Amino acid sequence: MNEIRNVNVQNMIKSYLKDVKKALPDWLKEKKEHKEILADLEEHIWQKASELSGNNEPSEESVRLAIEHMGKPEIIAKEYKRRGEPKVYITKEMWPLYIKVLSIVFTVILSLQIFGLIISALTELVSFWDMIGGLVAGIQSGLLFSFTIVTIIFVVLSMEGYFPEDFQSKHDQKKYRELVEQAAEEGLPISSTGKIMKPFIKPIGEIIGGGIALIFGLIFLFQPFPAVIFFPEFLILLRGFGLIWITEGCLDISRGIIGNHHPEKHQVIHGFLIVVKLAAVPLLVILMNRPEIFPVFSEPWVYVGIPVEFYETYRGIVAVVIAIVCLTTIEDIYRIVKLQKYKY
Amino acid sequence: MIKNVIGLDPEFKDYASKVESEINRGISKICILSVINESAETGIHGYQILRDLEEQTNYMLIIEEGTLYPLLRKLEEDGLIKSHREEGGRRRNYYSLTKYGKKVFNYLAGFYSKLIEAIGSLFDVNVDLKQDRYLFCPICANKIKLSNTELKFCDACGYNLENDLSTRGLKNE
Repeated sequence: MNEIRNVNVQNMIKSYLKDVKKALPDWLKEKKEHKEILADLEEHIWQKASELSGNNEPSEESVRLAIEHMGKPEIIAKEYKRRGEPKVYITKEMWPLYIKVLSIVFTVILSLQIFGLIISALTELVSFWDMIGGLVAGIQSGLLFSFTIVTIIFVVLSMEGYFPEDFQSKHDQKKYRELVEQAAEEGLPISSTGKIMKPFIKPIGEIIGGGIALIFGLIFLFQPFPAVIFFPEFLILLRGFGLIWITEGCLDISRGIIGNHHPEKHQVIHGFLIVVKLAAVPLLVILMNRPEIFPVFSEPWVYVGIPVEFYETYRGIVAVVIAIVCLTTIEDIYRIVKLQKYKY
Repeated sequence: MIKNVIGLDPEFKDYASKVESEINRGISKICILSVINESAETGIHGYQILRDLEEQTNYMLIIEEGTLYPLLRKLEEDGLIKSHREEGGRRRNYYSLTKYGKKVFNYLAGFYSKLIEAIGSLFDVNVDLKQDRYLFCPICANKIKLSNTELKFCDACGYNLENDLSTRGLKNE
């Protein structure tokens, strides 16, 4: 009799645990961990049932009550699905993957539409305006449809508590963990969520670029060439540019030496670079307004200067250079902002 | 609590029970940490955590038994607690605070204590913070045990506590 009761009790617990397992999110079921979770629940039920039976052999009634106290499997599973930081229905953790998938899908749709347009153009079956109309309508409906489907999928995945790493195989997960550890040892940037971030500079490139700027800067500053053939004002301006290039070169080299560490130091250097770059603007303005001092030679090294009819073209070119210099300072500001997320 | 009362207006009961759950959700986490903290290094198993919680809160804070384990898993994932399974026997999982968990708990305990002291007047309740045993950091509300003889700085925000200690005649060298 006792044996039958034991079998019944065990079946009740087994059946409950089976329901809990069924309700658990798939990402958890795929992990060994779910067995530990079920073991904890089973242990808890036995203990509670034993207590309810006055620390005797748990009866069917006490086990039923213990299971009732445990709560519905769906409620337990729901707690495991509470994972990740919400960000507009899609968790913060899933957001980068969502954007990546959307970009891939959009690119494929655009490529297919353009491919279709080329085929239509080659076969000449439809008029030009019909082709353009078809292209716009195709892109519009394709993007809207794919956006809706992808968004629904990611909202569901977020509600189920999925993280991007749950889509990786165990082997890939292990490999990625090793990579993160290696990256941490090498001092590569790792985000607060434990992801390896793209290196923000190429140290060798910065050192080579800085070295070239330094060499030209030194040549401009010390002018190891026959100076008599140039206007003295031009040589003074050249020294100014030389100083600017030397400073810029040194700053680039120091960024290369610091490498992908200390983002705050890179931010300070970018701040200095903005000042240094802007220092070149007044010199360029002087050069723009003095076209007659710009060295143009006829052979053999006879100064002829820029012909007067080309002065406006010359001024236009220098103005473009000034605009480019100003734009590069915007790039520095952008990098300062971007480096903020590497501070962890 | 109100869920168990029979014969109430369903709308009122639903609303009150929902708000009650919301309040309990936040408090549960800190109370679980507190019970685990009391067990120190030996650790405590899930069932005992619930028993202690019920007894110490006079059956006011009741966590649905099944939801305890997801909460414990989350705390472990966040690095606040660690677990080890009993060798042989019942193979129960024992939980204890990590060093980081202890730091977080002290801060949350301080913040929560100061909060209930502050809101006490709203409900005509007096809260005794046992200031003879603890110091609450004036900057971040971290709860600091005065029995710590090496105490000089708040371990959560780094605030220099010497002045606060000397006003109590407890200056540590």
